[in-house]
Amino acid sequence: MSEEIIMRVEHITKKFPVSEGRTLTAVDDVSFVVRKGETVGIVGESGCGKTTLLKALMCIEPPTAGRIIFRDQDITKLSGEAKRQNYRHLQMVFQDPTAAFNPKMKVKDIICEPLLNFDLIKKNEVKAKAAALLQAVELPEDFAERYPHNMSGGQRQRVAIARALALSPDIIVCDEATSALDVSVQDSIVRLLVRLQKEQGVTYIFVCHDLALVSLFSQRIAVMYLGNVMEKIDGDKLRAARHPYTRALLQAVFSTDQEKNKYIGILPGDIPSPLDMPTGCPFRNRCAYAEEVCAVEKPVLTETEPNHFVACHYPLTAEENGW
Amino acid sequence: MLLTVEDLSVSYGKDKPPTVTGVSFYLNEGEVLAIVGESGSGKTTVIRALLNALGGGGHFQAEKMLFNGQNLPELSASDWRNLRGKELSMIFQDSGNMMNPVHTIGKQFVEYIQTHSDLGKKAAYDLAAEMLTRMNLPNPENILRSYTFELSGGMRQRVGIAMAITFQPKLLLADEPTSALDVTTQAQIVGELLFVTKGSGTAMIMVTHNLGVASYMADKLMVMKSGRVVDYGKTEEILQNPQSDYTKTLLKAVPEIGGVRFV
Repeated sequence: MSEEIIMRVEHITKKFPVSEGRTLTAVDDVSFVVRKGETVGIVGESGCGKTTLLKALMCIEPPTAGRIIFRDQDITKLSGEAKRQNYRHLQMVFQDPTAAFNPKMKVKDIICEPLLNFDLIKKNEVKAKAAALLQAVELPEDFAERYPHNMSGGQRQRVAIARALALSPDIIVCDEATSALDVSVQDSIVRLLVRLQKEQGVTYIFVCHDLALVSLFSQRIAVMYLGNVMEKIDGDKLRAARHPYTRALLQAVFSTDQEKNKYIGILPGDIPSPLDMPTGCPFRNRCAYAEEVCAVEKPVLTETEPNHFVACHYPLTAEENGW
Repeated sequence: MLLTVEDLSVSYGKDKPPTVTGVSFYLNEGEVLAIVGESGSGKTTVIRALLNALGGGGHFQAEKMLFNGQNLPELSASDWRNLRGKELSMIFQDSGNMMNPVHTIGKQFVEYIQTHSDLGKKAAYDLAAEMLTRMNLPNPENILRSYTFELSGGMRQRVGIAMAITFQPKLLLADEPTSALDVTTQAQIVGELLFVTKGSGTAMIMVTHNLGVASYMADKLMVMKSGRVVDYGKTEEILQNPQSDYTKTLLKAVPEIGGVRFV
């Protein structure tokens, strides 16, 4: 594992103006670093700000405050040609590849389009390059002549990965890239991503709501709730999570091992509206351990052990964790 | 025996090969059967056939299809109307989509109750409110006045379950009842469904692609692939000793907390 940091996300905040002069804070002071060749998993339920954060990372929607340092520049300030050039190093794989492709383009044109856009290959090289990229994602070469609708969901997602790989980017951002797939297909896509990472040293930022999946192949995990990072932890240490929300997420994962299912716990209530944020800790009104101070003071991310950050006034201990 | 299905096959269109063939299973009162499998394996087709709601020119054939003493293939259209929504009811993946977005939930709930009973409007409204309270929904009056899009996914699903269990059906059919939900909401709804079945002796057939949820909830498990049953039996037996290779691969592919890491 290299220690070279290739992206620094620093204090990203995104506020949206809403009616009656109020503001909605979708992402609140999120910071993390991305190391080369690693996978950073971002986990959270709907409404936690994952998508807004991704939009900031991909320079689609600039944040209100904070900066993202990537290749020695703050990419949130980029515009025009500089912004376009930035995408040579930063590519994305979407949840639904059907919607991400032009249905009238053949697979070879889809996966070579980024290369043609940046004048990296000539038109007559498309065929050879497409074949090489298809091979990298374990698809037969004759897929180059197909259209996206002539494939299964898993095959389409492989094409999407091939397109993201075409430019040999430093970072590939995956937005729920496996959520729409069946489990066995999901398994093979994750194996493909991991193999590409080992061979080519690709770095992933993997946004997902499936904590179990993320924990199996991310080196670092950030757990988000209502726009805030609640806990940052190493992927292989997830069971030592100390934040009550992370624990609730862990307890909500159903297993095929009925022994593990004895630990299932139900977190009451719904996620509050981000317009109507609780004072203090955003999680306090669903938290079984909330005390008075949680309503007054917002907990800050604190390093409790090396590489393990928790934003909680009363982080759980390993015994309380129940595992 | 509440439900006996032997050698069920379903095909869409006259000369098309059958989508589902040779499906047999049995269900006792209060039992939960989970049908698992990947997209296109025919899971939903099976429960749609039980409801005689195949659509798309689909029709089913079966050696035997007995529900609570009634032979399903012989029922007339009006028999089906009496059965559906009362003794047999269905929960959909997103209960918001099964309802009309331009009418309030209360209006549709009352309409549903009055279609299947002789209750007056006021009594039907009170029953609707009571059902919502039973599903742990606070302020039922407020919800009855709302439209579907005003509720969160978990609340909508609770409304759908409340409607489905109003007449204490003998059998609930649930098509991916928790797939559209977040993990913590999913755990809540799974809890509610278990409460409904275990509390009142209602049997349930649940279609899901989430093997974890199936393992947690079901007494019996049926694994389907390409329209055929590849494994069927008690949940523990299948989990511990799957017969088909397909089930083995499927079980291996489920990500588990603390499982074998890819990296």
